[in-house]
Amino acid sequence: MQLRPLLLAVLLVLAVSAVSANAAHVVWSGLVIAENVPQPAPIPPELTKLEQTLKDLFGYNQFEVIGQSDKTLKTGQEDWLANSKYFGLHVDARGENDAGYTLSLKLYKENEVMLETDANLSKSSPLVIKGPQVGSGQLLLVLVVKEDAQAHRRHAEPANPITAGWHRLRRMIHRVIP
Amino acid sequence: MKTFEEKWTAWLDGQLSGKELTEFEASLPDLAAAEAEKRDALRLGAFLKEQLAAPALNNEEFFSHQLHERIARDTQDRPRSTSTWWTIPRLVWSGATALALFVITTVVLMSQHPAGEQSEYLTQILNSRVDPAANPNATIYIFESKNDNKVTVLWTEGLQTLPADYAAK
Repeated sequence: MQLRPLLLAVLLVLAVSAVSANAAHVVWSGLVIAENVPQPAPIPPELTKLEQTLKDLFGYNQFEVIGQSDKTLKTGQEDWLANSKYFGLHVDARGENDAGYTLSLKLYKENEVMLETDANLSKSSPLVIKGPQVGSGQLLLVLVVKEDAQAHRRHAEPANPITAGWHRLRRMIHRVIP
Repeated sequence: MKTFEEKWTAWLDGQLSGKELTEFEASLPDLAAAEAEKRDALRLGAFLKEQLAAPALNNEEFFSHQLHERIARDTQDRPRSTSTWWTIPRLVWSGATALALFVITTVVLMSQHPAGEQSEYLTQILNSRVDPAANPNATIYIFESKNDNKVTVLWTEGLQTLPADYAAK
């Protein structure tokens, strides 16, 4: 029967799409000191996309990363720490959902918890937290969901329409059946 | 050379003749008893022929008609071989229809949002807390940036100011 190879091919494409849809993501967490200096250093690559937003929001011209972590999330249950000399940002991922990851964040100043927050970090929406004033600058906490290297290579090519359609179908079902 | 039994059977059937008959009858010890036995055997044969003959049917046509009706009835009553709805052509058509529906649904869903468009989800702050002992006047605001980056901002005010040393890497 000629239909059998076609059906097998469709099933294979769906299986590959389902696997790729669950590809791991990388969460970049950064401790950033924003300040105004006469000759600002170039913005770190992780913040390039956010440069104008950060300048507009905080009014500083330089953003320096003093601590950071790139954590690949496979199960969505990992936890990690981004450290500078005096600050520590502990991130505890508590599961993945349709929008992104549920995270519990704690900002430590040495051993003291300064700030705690729980957030649903979206894959398409970075989180910026304004921390304490540090000298003439400002401590910022930035969390961004990046895609891993494989996903980057995949996205260099046109988006997989089946995967995109599958995600939309899932979202529609979630809206109907919360 | 015939055995005695063969000659006896032939004699009973009246098949022996001439010299063979004379010699056989001479060999019998009691011819009278043998003759009596031959008569009994012939009578028994005649009786059996009479009794075992097939009875003549007087109503052949009626019987034939009954038999045909019975055969026809049995043929009607016999259950036909069970047929299933899922024949091969129907299976093929069902598969093709399902595939077409899937393709149409995918195309419709894709046309709602151009491929590559970002998710509409924004980061949500579920709750947040500042250490009240060290920062008694701290306040927290949450908002989203108004540009395309869709940045969610947790804005704190009134946190304890720290010396510049704390900016060390």
